[in-house]
Amino acid sequence: MNKEKLKSPVERRDFLRRCGTLMAGGVALASGGLLATKSSGKAGEVFWQIDPYRCTQCGRCETDCVLPVSAVKCFHANRVCGYCDLCGGYYRPNVKELNTAAENQLCPTGAITRKFVEEPYFEYTIDESLCTGCAKCVKGCTSFGNGSLFLQIQQDLCQQCNECAIARVCPSDAIHRVSNANAYQLKDHA
Amino acid sequence: MRKRGFIILIGVLSSLAVWAEARFPKPDFTSGYQYPVILHGAPNEMFWNVVDIVMLIGMMSLVVWGAYRKRSRAVIYSLSVVSVLYFGFFRSGCVCSVGSIQNVVLSLVSPDYHLPWYVLLVFLLPILFALLFGRVFCAGVCPLGALQELVNIRNFRLARSVSVALSVIPWIYLAFTILYAATRSQFLICRLDPFVGIFRLGGDMGMITFGIGLLLMSVFIGRPFCRFLCPYGALLSVFSSLSWKKLEITPRGCINCALCGMSCPVDAIRSPQSSRTGEERRKGVNRIILFAALLPLLTMAGAFLVGGQSDALSLAHKDVYLYELLLQQQARPDMEVPLEVETFNALGGNIEELKARVDEVRLDYRFYTRLAGALIGFIIGFKLLKLSLKRSRKTYEVSSAHCTMCGRCFSYCPQNINIKKHEKTIS
Repeated sequence: MNKEKLKSPVERRDFLRRCGTLMAGGVALASGGLLATKSSGKAGEVFWQIDPYRCTQCGRCETDCVLPVSAVKCFHANRVCGYCDLCGGYYRPNVKELNTAAENQLCPTGAITRKFVEEPYFEYTIDESLCTGCAKCVKGCTSFGNGSLFLQIQQDLCQQCNECAIARVCPSDAIHRVSNANAYQLKDHA
Repeated sequence: MRKRGFIILIGVLSSLAVWAEARFPKPDFTSGYQYPVILHGAPNEMFWNVVDIVMLIGMMSLVVWGAYRKRSRAVIYSLSVVSVLYFGFFRSGCVCSVGSIQNVVLSLVSPDYHLPWYVLLVFLLPILFALLFGRVFCAGVCPLGALQELVNIRNFRLARSVSVALSVIPWIYLAFTILYAATRSQFLICRLDPFVGIFRLGGDMGMITFGIGLLLMSVFIGRPFCRFLCPYGALLSVFSSLSWKKLEITPRGCINCALCGMSCPVDAIRSPQSSRTGEERRKGVNRIILFAALLPLLTMAGAFLVGGQSDALSLAHKDVYLYELLLQQQARPDMEVPLEVETFNALGGNIEELKARVDEVRLDYRFYTRLAGALIGFIIGFKLLKLSLKRSRKTYEVSSAHCTMCGRCFSYCPQNINIKKHEKTIS
């Protein structure tokens, strides 16, 4: 063994390391470029939202959101509403008297209030701070009324999880990502 | 009067498909009632995404400065506090670099998925920094690592065999993450994130308990999540081991005092060893050849073993699960109808169409389970091969693949003591 050969392993190791760095750099740059092409183009659909026409009011929105109180709230499309006195979303089935007593109300948190407009119409309003997204009223309204009550994800509450925990369990596959311009899928915009 | 109004309205309504479901006609108000204007909270995520990226670059640069220039744990520790507060509690940990692996995989396999620019940056920037300076992201920028760093008090060393065996887990985790993301089944990392529940002060109780358990563990063992679970850490360790700059404990030369090795919480400081292990050279070479030959065999065995479970694993996909439920329901009509089946029937789902989709998904699974299995087999083989290589070291060296740059060793090294400052305090 001559002297040069003894010296060589460290140099070889250094050389290999440099090759490795170059290769890793190349791979990172190439994959970065490839991914950048995937990222450019059309506007991103990044916000979770419920398609109210696909929703089957199963009640999982209330229980499966990562937030302590779900970011899903009941919305009300006034232009779709029939302003009925006997409201399927407001009263429990088979109520004896049509008054605002708590035992008559369908909403477990009393988040729906109603106001007399004119004979025979009543205006219904949702207090979103009380709503838990349980969909009881939505089911009532969709089954017996015009379907003016519907669930939507409140965008300023939503954490925009990388994967929506409700979308994962939604039986009708109603939750998808939407773009900023269509952050809400309302029923009364038409 | 009102009756006529009704009739006209109904005529108008029935002509519009939008109003097809209206059971009650739109009321004609006579009291001048106006529809209320309801405003809904707009998402303001875009603004915070920009702030996130700025914070990410800024904090990683600060770690580089703190570790390479200042050689100070104080800088890295304070950055960890900032990271836990900002990325953890304030931004509630989403989207994180660890989870962004899934978005990247999804964007590669699915042409209709649009990868947001900030998710791409959140994925690429830490890798770029790892290529240049090592795992700066892990040091004090990743809120998951920072949280464990902050509670770490004592370090009980794990046996080397145990830590090497456990370090395979992140790769298995990564393989399954890729499998589930590529088949569009679920985002495994998001589902199994142990600390996001702590940051959000709520969530899945099982995961929060797991997170608290990990935190209790990290009081005594350095960063158990980063070393034995985190799939992104595994990726970064590859790039970090090939990094351009390597972190040195001291610029003044090692004196082999062994203090730094004891201070390291993640076993990243390797002690000196001679290459003469007492065995014949021929024997060592034979072992390396054996493990090199074993590598493709293990890869194939992995592909075969995991690929064999393809149909069972595909149950993680929603459509496959629904299809299996439907089959069960048909076999035993007396059982309680699951909500999924009920919804499928209520929406008038076609079982033939579902079957076609399920077949496609299962085909995907057959390919990706083999890929995942091959990756796991390859990693196990590679780790074995690496263990059989014995390198000689004359001084204490930092293994840049494992070093998370916590900065503890700097103050332990006697060579780093500022003599002038000490003379001042003595006098």
